[in-house]
Amino acid sequence: MLTYLLRRLLQGAILIVVLSYLCFYLMTLMPGDPVDMMISSNPKITAEDVERLRKLYGLDQPAYLRYSHWVKDILSGDLGYSRTYRVPVQELLAPRLLNTFILSITALCFSVLIAVPAGVFSALRPGSRFDHFINFISFAGISIPSFWLGIVCIILFAVWIPLFPAGGTLTIQDESTSFGFEVLDRLKYLVLPVLSLSLQQIGRFARYTRSAMQESLRHDYIRTATAKGLSQNRVVWVHGFRNALIPLITVLALSMSSIFSGAIITETVFAYQGVGKLTYDSINSNDYNVAMISFIISVTMVLMMNFLADILYGVADPRIRYV
Amino acid sequence: MKKTSVTTILGAFIIGLFVFLSLAAPGIKALTGLDPDAQNVFSRYQKPWSRGTVSQDNRENTIEKLIQRDPLLAQSVENSLKEKSLVKTDLSGEALFELALMPVPEAISILEKIDSPEATEIKKIFHSFELFHLFGTDELGRDVFIRLIFGARVSMAVGILVALMAALIGLLIGSVAGFYGGLLDTILMRTTDALLSLPLLPVMIVVAAIDLQKLPLLPTLVNAQNESILKMILILCLFSWMTVARLVRGNILSLREQDFILAARALGASNFSIITRHLLPNVIGSMLVAISLGVGESILFEAALSFLGLGIQPPTPSWGNMLFNAQELIYQSPLLAILPGLMILLTVMSFNYLGDGLQDALDPKARGR
Repeated sequence: MLTYLLRRLLQGAILIVVLSYLCFYLMTLMPGDPVDMMISSNPKITAEDVERLRKLYGLDQPAYLRYSHWVKDILSGDLGYSRTYRVPVQELLAPRLLNTFILSITALCFSVLIAVPAGVFSALRPGSRFDHFINFISFAGISIPSFWLGIVCIILFAVWIPLFPAGGTLTIQDESTSFGFEVLDRLKYLVLPVLSLSLQQIGRFARYTRSAMQESLRHDYIRTATAKGLSQNRVVWVHGFRNALIPLITVLALSMSSIFSGAIITETVFAYQGVGKLTYDSINSNDYNVAMISFIISVTMVLMMNFLADILYGVADPRIRYV
Repeated sequence: MKKTSVTTILGAFIIGLFVFLSLAAPGIKALTGLDPDAQNVFSRYQKPWSRGTVSQDNRENTIEKLIQRDPLLAQSVENSLKEKSLVKTDLSGEALFELALMPVPEAISILEKIDSPEATEIKKIFHSFELFHLFGTDELGRDVFIRLIFGARVSMAVGILVALMAALIGLLIGSVAGFYGGLLDTILMRTTDALLSLPLLPVMIVVAAIDLQKLPLLPTLVNAQNESILKMILILCLFSWMTVARLVRGNILSLREQDFILAARALGASNFSIITRHLLPNVIGSMLVAISLGVGESILFEAALSFLGLGIQPPTPSWGNMLFNAQELIYQSPLLAILPGLMILLTVMSFNYLGDGLQDALDPKARGR
C-alpha cells in the first residue's frame, strides 16, 4: 500500500515538473514578451535600452536556464510579481483559489445530489417514462456547450426575469455586514454559475450511475437479498448501491478535471473571480508569473483528485489490493 | 421500434442535413446573394424574417463592374433615364450610380418606368440587391443565416477531421502498445494516462495562445489564411487520441490471447499481417463509436476555444467564434447568442446519439432498454 502511494506521488511530481517546463517553454512562444510591451508603451525607448532590459529580465537566455531560475525562486517561496495587477502572486491567488474552490465544490455536490438518485431510480425502472427523460437530460447535458448554457442562463434569469445578478462574485459592501448576510450574498452570485457548470456533470453522473446500478442489480446476491426478505430500500441502497459505487468514484474523480476545465469558461462568462478566469486573463495579457502558477495549481489539484480517488477505491471496495 | 434506434436515426439525419448544408454553402451563397463577410453598417441588428439590402458600397461596386463589363447596356439605360428625366444628375455615367445610392425599392420603381430589355437587365441586378434575412443580422450587419451555414462548414470540418485523425493516432499507439507489450507498452500507456488526467481546457488554452510563427519550421507549412483552422485541428488532435488508444489497447490485449491469433501465428503470419488482417478488423466497430463520440467532443472544444478568442479567428465564421462577442450583445439581440449555441447543441447531441446507437448495435449485451 505504502509503496503504491509513494510511487503514485512520485509519478505525479514528475508529471508536474515536465508539464511546468512545457508550459514555461510554450509561454516563451506566445506573441509579445514583457519588453515588447514596454516598447509599445514607451515610444522613446532606444535599442540599447531594449538590449539592457532584456538582459535585466534574463530574456536573452535560453528557456531552460530561465526555467531553472524560476524554479529556484519558487522553491525559495517567491512566486513572483503580477505585472497586470501590480501585486505579488501569492496575494492575488489566495482569494481566487477560495472562490474557485467554493464554485467547484458547490457544483460537484449539487450535481451528485441530483444525478445519483436520478440514475438509481431510472435503473430501477428501465424503459419507463422517467428513464427516458433522464436519458434525454443526460444526452443534452453532455452535449451542451457550457459557455452557451451560461449565456442562456444570463438571458433568461438576469435579463428577462431579473432574479439573479448577471455576473460577479459578491456585492461590494463595507466590512460591518454580518456573516449570514455575506453567505446569502455569495449564494445569490453562485446560483447561475453553478447551474451552468452542473448540467454537464449531472448528465454524465446520471448515465454512469444508471449503468453501474443496472450492472450491480444483475448480480446473484441481489436476488439472495430479496429472497431473504430484506426490504426493497435495503436491497437497493445497501446491497446494490454500495457495489455501484466503485465505477462512480472513478467518474467523480475524473470529473474534477472537467469541472476545472468548465470553471475557466463559466468564470469567464460570469466574470466570477476565480483561478480559471485568472489563468485565462493572465495568458491573454502575457502575465507569465500568474499564468504559470495558476496553471500549475489547476493541474496539481486535478492530479490530487485522481490520487484521492485511488485511495477511495480501497475504502469502497476492500477487495482492491494496491500493488 | 426501440427508442434508441429512433434517436440514432434522428441523429444521423440531422448530421446528414448539416453535412449537406455545409457542402452546399457556396451554392446557397450564390443562390441567395448573401455573403458571410459582407458588412453593412446600415442594417445592424435586423430582426429575423426581415428584408434588407446590400450595402451601398457593394451596390456601387457592382454597378461599376457592370459599366466596365457592358458599357453599351449601361449607356442605353442611362440615356433613357435622362430622356424621361427620372434622374437628377446630368453628368455622363452618373445616372446608374444615382440609382445605386437610392433605397433599392425606389430605384426599382424608377427602372420600372422604362420599358426596354436593357432596363429589365439592370432591374434584375437591382433585385439581387434585395436580401432576405431569415435570422436577422449581427452587430456588423452580416446575415446570421449564411454565417451559421458557413460556420457549420468550419465546425463540422474541424470536428470530423479531428475525430478521424485522433482515431488514427490512437489506433497506432494503442495497437503498438497492446501488441508488443513490455516497456513500450508501459511508456505509451503512462503518457496516455498522464494526458488523460490533465484538465484539458487550461492546457489547450496555453497551447492555443502560442504564436506559430515563433516555432521553427512550421511557418513555411501554413499560410496565414487557414492558420487558425490548422492550428485548431493540430491542438485538438494532440489531446484527443487517448481514449481511442486505451480502447484499442484493451481490445487488442484480449484479442491477442485468442485461438485465431494462435492459428494465424502457427500458419506463419508476420506481426504486421496479424495486426492489420486479424486484429484491426475486430476493433473497427468500437472505433466507429469512439469516432462518433469524438466528433461531438471536438466540436465542443473548438467552440469553447473559439468562444475564448483562441480558436478560429474572425472573419472566418465558426459556431464558437460567432458567440465570441454575442455575450455583450444580449440586450440588443439575444438571438445572436442563442442560435449558434443551439446549432452546436443539436450537432453534438446527434453525434452522441449516433455513437450510442452504434454501441448498442455492436454490443447487444449492453442493451438494457
